[in-house]
Amino acid sequence: MKYDVIVIGGGHAGSEAANAAARLGARTLLVTSFLARIGLMSCNPAVGGVAKGTVAREVDALGGVMGRAVDRTTLHFRMLNQSKGPAVWAPRAQCDRGLYPREVRRQLEEREALDLFQATVEALLIEDGRVAGVVTSDGSTFRARAVVLTAGTFLRGTIHLGPRTRIDAGRAGDPPTIRLAEQLEQLGLQAERFKTGTPPRIDGRTVDYSRFERQDGQDDGARFSHWENAGGLPPLPCWIGSAGPEVKAIVEQNLESSALYGGAISSLGPRYCPSIEDKVVKFPDAERHQVFLEPEGLETTELYVNGLSTSLPPDVQRAFLQAVPGLESAHMTQPGYAIEYDYFSPDRLNSTLALPDLPGLWLAGQVNGTTGYEEAAGQGVVAGINAALFTLGRDAWVPARDEAFLGVLVDDLVTRGVDEPYRLFTSRAEFRLILRQDNCLWRLGPVAERLGLLTDNERESLEHHLQQLERTRRWVSETRVRPEELNGWLNLRGGAAIPETQSLERLLRRPEVTLEALLAADGPLTGPELDRDARTTVEMETKYAGYIERDRERAESLKMREEHPLPPDAEYLEFESVSREARQKLDRVRPTSVGQAARIPGISPSDLQNLLVELRKRSAPGVARETVKRED
Amino acid sequence: MSLRSRPTDAKRNRDTIAAISTAAGRGAIAVIRVSGPDVRAIADTIGLNDLEARRASLRRLDHPDGGGGVDRVLATLFPGPGSYTGEDLLEISSHGGALVPQLVLDAVLAAGARPAEPGEYTRRAYLNGRVDLLQAEATADLIEAASPALAHIALQHLERGLSRRIESLRAQLIEAQALIAYDIDFPDEDDGPLDPARLDAVMVTLAGELEGLLALAPEGEMLREGALTVIAGRPNAGKSSLFNVLVGFERAIVTEHPGTTRDAIEAVVGVEGYPFRLVDTAGLRDEAGDIEGIGIEVARSYLSRAEIVLFCVEDGRPLDREEQEFLSGVSTGRASGRAILVRTKTDRVEDRASGNDRSAIGDLPEVRFSSVAGAGVTRLRELLLEAAYSGLRSEVEAPLVTRRRHVRALEDARADVEGFETARTAGLPPEIAATHLQDATLRLEELLGVVTTEDLLDAVFSSFCVGK
Repeated sequence: MKYDVIVIGGGHAGSEAANAAARLGARTLLVTSFLARIGLMSCNPAVGGVAKGTVAREVDALGGVMGRAVDRTTLHFRMLNQSKGPAVWAPRAQCDRGLYPREVRRQLEEREALDLFQATVEALLIEDGRVAGVVTSDGSTFRARAVVLTAGTFLRGTIHLGPRTRIDAGRAGDPPTIRLAEQLEQLGLQAERFKTGTPPRIDGRTVDYSRFERQDGQDDGARFSHWENAGGLPPLPCWIGSAGPEVKAIVEQNLESSALYGGAISSLGPRYCPSIEDKVVKFPDAERHQVFLEPEGLETTELYVNGLSTSLPPDVQRAFLQAVPGLESAHMTQPGYAIEYDYFSPDRLNSTLALPDLPGLWLAGQVNGTTGYEEAAGQGVVAGINAALFTLGRDAWVPARDEAFLGVLVDDLVTRGVDEPYRLFTSRAEFRLILRQDNCLWRLGPVAERLGLLTDNERESLEHHLQQLERTRRWVSETRVRPEELNGWLNLRGGAAIPETQSLERLLRRPEVTLEALLAADGPLTGPELDRDARTTVEMETKYAGYIERDRERAESLKMREEHPLPPDAEYLEFESVSREARQKLDRVRPTSVGQAARIPGISPSDLQNLLVELRKRSAPGVARETVKRED
Repeated sequence: MSLRSRPTDAKRNRDTIAAISTAAGRGAIAVIRVSGPDVRAIADTIGLNDLEARRASLRRLDHPDGGGGVDRVLATLFPGPGSYTGEDLLEISSHGGALVPQLVLDAVLAAGARPAEPGEYTRRAYLNGRVDLLQAEATADLIEAASPALAHIALQHLERGLSRRIESLRAQLIEAQALIAYDIDFPDEDDGPLDPARLDAVMVTLAGELEGLLALAPEGEMLREGALTVIAGRPNAGKSSLFNVLVGFERAIVTEHPGTTRDAIEAVVGVEGYPFRLVDTAGLRDEAGDIEGIGIEVARSYLSRAEIVLFCVEDGRPLDREEQEFLSGVSTGRASGRAILVRTKTDRVEDRASGNDRSAIGDLPEVRFSSVAGAGVTRLRELLLEAAYSGLRSEVEAPLVTRRRHVRALEDARADVEGFETARTAGLPPEIAATHLQDATLRLEELLGVVTTEDLLDAVFSSFCVGK
């Protein structure tokens, strides 16, 4: 059987990679061990959050699966950071864990060029030093010029439940992938280990909700997807409680039996997603820790106990759960656990997430040392697009750091590598004011159209959205507001009156005035029905024009460096005038531009200069001769 | 970063350079320094083979083309990256004088080195991460210091005194940004939203330190050039005598700058180690010109920039209207600086002081001075120090900002910090206001040379002489 692209794995990276490749017209096969578990949420049943929510929307703007699947299965939606400016608003949704995977699979099955196949990949097919396909557990061989590996935590995954219980698993209930991991090692791909963890789950029927604060979602029409307006599922609340001194005492008494602190796990976990053991040990002064009970789904009473991730044995987990006010008689349905897994240091990848050392192979998701569904999905899109572009003989697409959070994500990974599981934050982006959740479609929709990722319907929809944006801009700049229609309203809100008729644009520059409030039912203005994202974008552009301009200028000045390409096949190890450390780093990272080389940790200005000379010496003999002449 | 200039820079940075590092002229010894990747090979071909690292060896130095020995020298090899330049560095102490050091250098050049460009050793030290930009500048300052006070400060800079202060400022800016980032990136955490008081505390310290550094900046800049001290007065008011006495008393550290101006002569004079750039119109009366035709002689082009105006009036003669107007112009800022009234020629008549008229000149400091008896000089020096360096003298061991470049970067950073506070007060969201802090951080990084442009580097390193 022959394909253009084969995707190994059906998680968030794999499903996006397969979807993107198939959308570009590459004949694509997705191979995964259990088709029913495509798009499974292995950790908490939520998508989005700060920076992550923006990535999810960027993936959607590129024709991705995630946004639509989230919208159709949302139980609880919140826009985080609304007390701050729109630049850092962050959509987050609790989803129905059971329904989400079905929505992912449904979308994949809509793709004509995409086949799904249930099997475990035993080995990559290698021919002439290139990856040429895969061999699966059922004995089939599938050939393809491009293979995208998205193995998540499955490569030699080991689950820890306390100090002695070790289960080889890629996720609770799923066997790990061993043979493929061994083959990759034989191929010279050095694996490293990370750990991550997940909390216990409980039966909601056994919870005393009176001890928890109820948190309802918002439904003001905000969505993840740009392409459809799915209303979500009947809403369910989250519940906020806290783990106090009793929990702390139990954890402290049992630290020895924690896989983390008892010595069973030595690999590094994410600092920003600490286990309850970590919280107790590293922040001994904290009296309480928040506990979020998140709904697992409409048709189950199970709850996810966010905040109490752990590697303690199940009996200790039961004990500390019951020490949480309101959970005294809670029944634990699944214990939390820590999982250790292989990842491959991503600084060996190029900016398309391909591995130059093994042509034909792309890597995306947690195998690259990241955490999070959104980070995985984002890499999946980039790898899937580029694997397909490669097989179609087209130029690669690399998102820039000022173009998308995807650009920040990929560039950070391939340039800096990782030293703990990588998660996105807004502070990783230099151009936070440009990379917002409201303008994903304006930034990436045209890219998606140019690449050929969009269906006919989506192209029409994009056109419509872009017109909406223009119309909103025009309306704001052309509308004049009069004192008599406005001053009463301004007065009520403590704002200064406007002395004379002025443009709406000028009024909107006031921090306290928002389009949403002006156009609300009790607001002073009536206007056209405005697209939500277009409204936020125009408001940002109007209010913070100077600041956005500064971000853009900084981005432009950095771009000059980015546009100086470095050859992909440079023999860095022979560049004698470059320091040894820098030579090795350059050889490993293989930067595509001077700008990227400058971001590699440990590359000094003089290394950069010497690098350029060495390249000149090798690539342009005419120039080198001229240099020699001048020396005479 | 200008990429076009990079290849040439990089070429400059990878070959081996040599220069005589000591001053020209007769002397017991001279030091020739060689730095770069070929140092060991060059050493081998001039008879300095197998040098032990960091140990001085007495050797005969030969010319690579034969023809016998050049000199007996003391040679020390400092292997990179632990050397001054970060590369292999060879120091050759040869005999001094006009000829021998040049012959040694010739031998080194013949063996494959090329002559170093101005500032190139320090430039390499910077590019190889051995010193930061402030230290590189301090090296030049230390070498060129005309006053002990500047030398003292340059040494502090060299020992990273200023660098540490700037780094501390940068760390605080980053802490402030981290607090904001925490607030943005972790909206649902145990610790809850950011307590504004934490950010306030960081900003108060930051603004205070920035202010402290800038407060002494004008004096720091004066230390480099000397406080511009202009002598003014009617013809024959004793200006030249005053100039000569001040210069004469400090002859040991006077530096003449002939030909630097056309309408005045000037000299840098040290007073207790603090430099003053003394300017007089003496000898050039015709061209210097009277100020606005009223007969008061002053080097006009200097007056607007003067820190101090020494106004000479013969003792016992009341100030006329024009003199009073001139002086009030100085004190009201028509001209910059502070005026000191110098009553000259006090030796001519025993007690003329009674004729002095104080009513029109307010609380102008005044000194009675005689070029013959040397009277009043101590008091005048005291007044000069008071007028120019009062802040600096009361500060103990404060690393100072002495360059225009430092002042500009710190002022820009201060403007950005103020911009942040204004934005915050105006209720702009934190992620918007924080762009000001990002910019302020960039300014300080440029100051340290963490992020540099080639233009900046060229400007900094063009102030070095060969061999440093």
